[in-house]
Amino acid sequence: MSRPLAAVLFIALAASGCALNPFHTGQPASSSGHGGAHTQPGSAPVLGSPPVIGPPAPGEEPVIAATPTPLPRDRPRAPAATLGLASKALVAQAETQRKKGDLPGATATLERALRIEPNNPLLWIEVGRLRMDQRNYAQAEGMGRKALSMSVGDDRTQAQAWQLIADSFRARGKNTQAQEAADRSRSLSPQ
Amino acid sequence: MAARKLRARTRRQIQRGVAALAVLLFLVAIVVVAVLDHRVTKQFEGRRWTLPARVYAQPIELYVGQALSAKRAAEEIERLGYLAQARADRPGTYWRRGDRIGVFLRAFRFSDEMQAARALDIRFEGGSIVSLHDARGADVPVIRLDPLLIGSIFPIHGEDRIVVSPAQVPPLLPEALKAVEDRKFETHHGVNPLAILRALFVNVRAGQVEQGGSTLTQQLVKSYFLDSRRTLGRKAEEAVMAVILESRFGKADIMNAYINEIYLGQDGQRAIHGFGLASQFYFGKPLAELDLPEIALMVAIVRGPSYYDPRRHPDRALARRNLVLRVLAERSVVSEADAERAASRPLGVAKAGQKSAVFFPAFLDLVRRQLRTDYEEEDLTEAGLVVFSTLDPLLQEKAEDALESELDRQDASGRKVAHGLEGVMVVTTPQTGEVVAIVGGRHASFDGFNRALDAKRPIGSLAKPLVYLSALETGRYTPATIVHDQPVTIKLPNGQTWKPANYDREIRGDMPAVRALTQSLNLPTVNLGLEVGLPRVARTFVQLGLAEEPAAYPSMLLGATNLSPYEVAQMYNTLANGGFRSALRAVRTVMAESGKQLKAPQLEVAEAAPADAVYVLDRMLVEVMERGTGRPARRTLPPGLVVAGKTGTSNDYRDSWFAGFSGAHLIVVWMGHDDNSQTGLTGTTGALVAWSRLMSSITTSSFEPLMPESLENRWIDYYSGLETSPSCDGAAVNLPFRVGTVLPANEACPPGIEDPVAVDPAAALPGDAAATAQPAP
Repeated sequence: MSRPLAAVLFIALAASGCALNPFHTGQPASSSGHGGAHTQPGSAPVLGSPPVIGPPAPGEEPVIAATPTPLPRDRPRAPAATLGLASKALVAQAETQRKKGDLPGATATLERALRIEPNNPLLWIEVGRLRMDQRNYAQAEGMGRKALSMSVGDDRTQAQAWQLIADSFRARGKNTQAQEAADRSRSLSPQ
Repeated sequence: MAARKLRARTRRQIQRGVAALAVLLFLVAIVVVAVLDHRVTKQFEGRRWTLPARVYAQPIELYVGQALSAKRAAEEIERLGYLAQARADRPGTYWRRGDRIGVFLRAFRFSDEMQAARALDIRFEGGSIVSLHDARGADVPVIRLDPLLIGSIFPIHGEDRIVVSPAQVPPLLPEALKAVEDRKFETHHGVNPLAILRALFVNVRAGQVEQGGSTLTQQLVKSYFLDSRRTLGRKAEEAVMAVILESRFGKADIMNAYINEIYLGQDGQRAIHGFGLASQFYFGKPLAELDLPEIALMVAIVRGPSYYDPRRHPDRALARRNLVLRVLAERSVVSEADAERAASRPLGVAKAGQKSAVFFPAFLDLVRRQLRTDYEEEDLTEAGLVVFSTLDPLLQEKAEDALESELDRQDASGRKVAHGLEGVMVVTTPQTGEVVAIVGGRHASFDGFNRALDAKRPIGSLAKPLVYLSALETGRYTPATIVHDQPVTIKLPNGQTWKPANYDREIRGDMPAVRALTQSLNLPTVNLGLEVGLPRVARTFVQLGLAEEPAAYPSMLLGATNLSPYEVAQMYNTLANGGFRSALRAVRTVMAESGKQLKAPQLEVAEAAPADAVYVLDRMLVEVMERGTGRPARRTLPPGLVVAGKTGTSNDYRDSWFAGFSGAHLIVVWMGHDDNSQTGLTGTTGALVAWSRLMSSITTSSFEPLMPESLENRWIDYYSGLETSPSCDGAAVNLPFRVGTVLPANEACPPGIEDPVAVDPAAALPGDAAATAQPAP
């Protein structure tokens, strides 16, 4: 049990993008951590939530883009997104503010970075992570989906975005969608 | 005897009466003084000036790589009231030598951090920042200029002020006030009887500095507690209160209160109180940075803010300022030489355009409305909130210029219907949903009806993209789907029939959807909308951000719906943002006086429409600009700048609309008459001109979103919709389709094997002469 669990944790951490994501480095307790625990391959589905993808249960909001389409692998892959110097400094500053519990300050700082690099998906993922901290899960998902649309062909960033989306679903008790998003994240993660 | 007794008794009675009266008067006086004392003490101790919320523009971020030329950076620094000097040796100063700028930033408290005063060395090259260092040569990754104060939210006919602490007051100011207004300030007890006598004498003799006779304390009392009626009773009350104030509070407290309280000017309905705001109002910079001639002018204005208004009566103000300087030298507050040098300086009052305040009425109105969802009106007008807004002052200025020059051009056209047009511009940054500029009318500074938010007009063909998006969303339509340019007659529920026509009354038969949208043809759009279903189209309006579904009449398909430019901006922002809806924001953060960050609308992102459908629609809107009704913009736009947009014209040419976006900006323009009469303009001949003028004058980027992986680019014939080869003739157009879509081939010129990959839809265009459509509504 311990070896597969370790493997899963490794994949999950990779999916959360430690290398690219100074914001969450060294924070195994962050939301991406438990996301991994639920997506352990081969383990029993959590609380009867089937790992198959189906139509949303009644009462759940319709999923617009979650229908998995086979990824055309012959497409040109994009290089992994990186942060500019200014954004890097601001993301680090936001992390300091976040650690001090100053979530409004961290948000304001991340938004500064967003205005400098509005097309950088990594920043939208950062804002999404903050929305998770603020328990604004629907907005966390929105940020994740925005990041997806800006990282077409960039598997590494897409994996992070899907992980954020998975976390936001799980926080809202939408386990089926969380599972599916986590699966997508894993399938895109660099092995 | 009896008579004497009687007299004595009478005298005693009178004495007693007088004594009683004296006692009574004394008691009354005590009561009056006690009441006044209570009033003075309570109000003064609380020291709660009503502080209107202060609104700042967005700050300029400095970082390596930012597209900002040295020239523009210097202009922005200048706008903030920084003083050009040989060396930037204190906060609020800067120098520029060619491509290098040194600036000593002021300390500024942002909602997220206190930014300390700091010297910076900035180098520019090729229109952007290439290095950014502090005084010790260390790299600075990113830093903000202090933001421009753009106004306050004050009650109608209200007082506005910026409260300053003694530390923020240049020491010369209180000294000058004492020397000119109240020489015995340090020693008197609130009133100065000698000064009053001298004032009478001097005023009779005139010529000298006209002495008011009121001490600073009396002036403060008058402004703080009393109305401006001048009666003897008032004067007495004022004197008593001044004495009470002096007995209760120290001189330093009273001087500080005076500096923050006194009336110093009028800005429309806004009364400028206190030297803190007056410094911004007259010089566009903080009080602490004023020099001798500027301080002398402020002291001159105290005596009569309207009579000595340096903008309206510069000669009077100058004479009075120099008089003040002479008095300061006479009383040894400053040296003779300094006073002389100062007297030779011009007034130095900031130009009207720089004096912040009421120059952004439409924008400030939006700020106020957005804050009203979280705050009570009194919070905004009294609690001293600091509001960090999204306004981009430079862009706002350019938007005003672009609109005004187009309206002037229409005036000069000689066409009667085009004379005296009004217009609106709303500019947003789509990714973050921030409103960066709003022009509410021809006279941007006229604080009247807010057309941008309240003028609801039929949107005309601006509705068409929503019809095509509704179709694309079903998954059953593509840009090549054949639509029918055929007459249609619809029986309305009220028994009338609706018979729309194309703008030119022509019928063209079948054509691909892309052509119908690009050329803004009415009949194919109506036929398509009816096919897709009116309720579905009505829903799309709400999906994109409209608060309520429009009435689902067939005429909705051609834009009979009345919307404000702001509502249009909200919907098109979602299109410009790849189908993600972000509620438009004019406020970034709100801060309490204490520095604590308060509630404000947050940045939101919601997937409103499928990204692939929006991507396909947006690419068709790029075609509008390349070969359709938006084509004339190409004459003005920088070559290679990819933009997307749509024209709109309402019935009988009453409203001229254009809504379009680049990769970084959405601009919505409306032009029309307030009385809704005809303009003779289409979207192309009116609004589009102003739109392209603005779009080409700002730093922006191409609209080049990443194509969703479910789509691929294919070449189709613009007239038949058949798949074709890009090399055939001028009619091939490159558009996105779902991977695996089956497209019938153009037998005359079948698609080649080696389709060139068109990354840039604009660059991929073939010769456009043949394909360019006539501008249409």
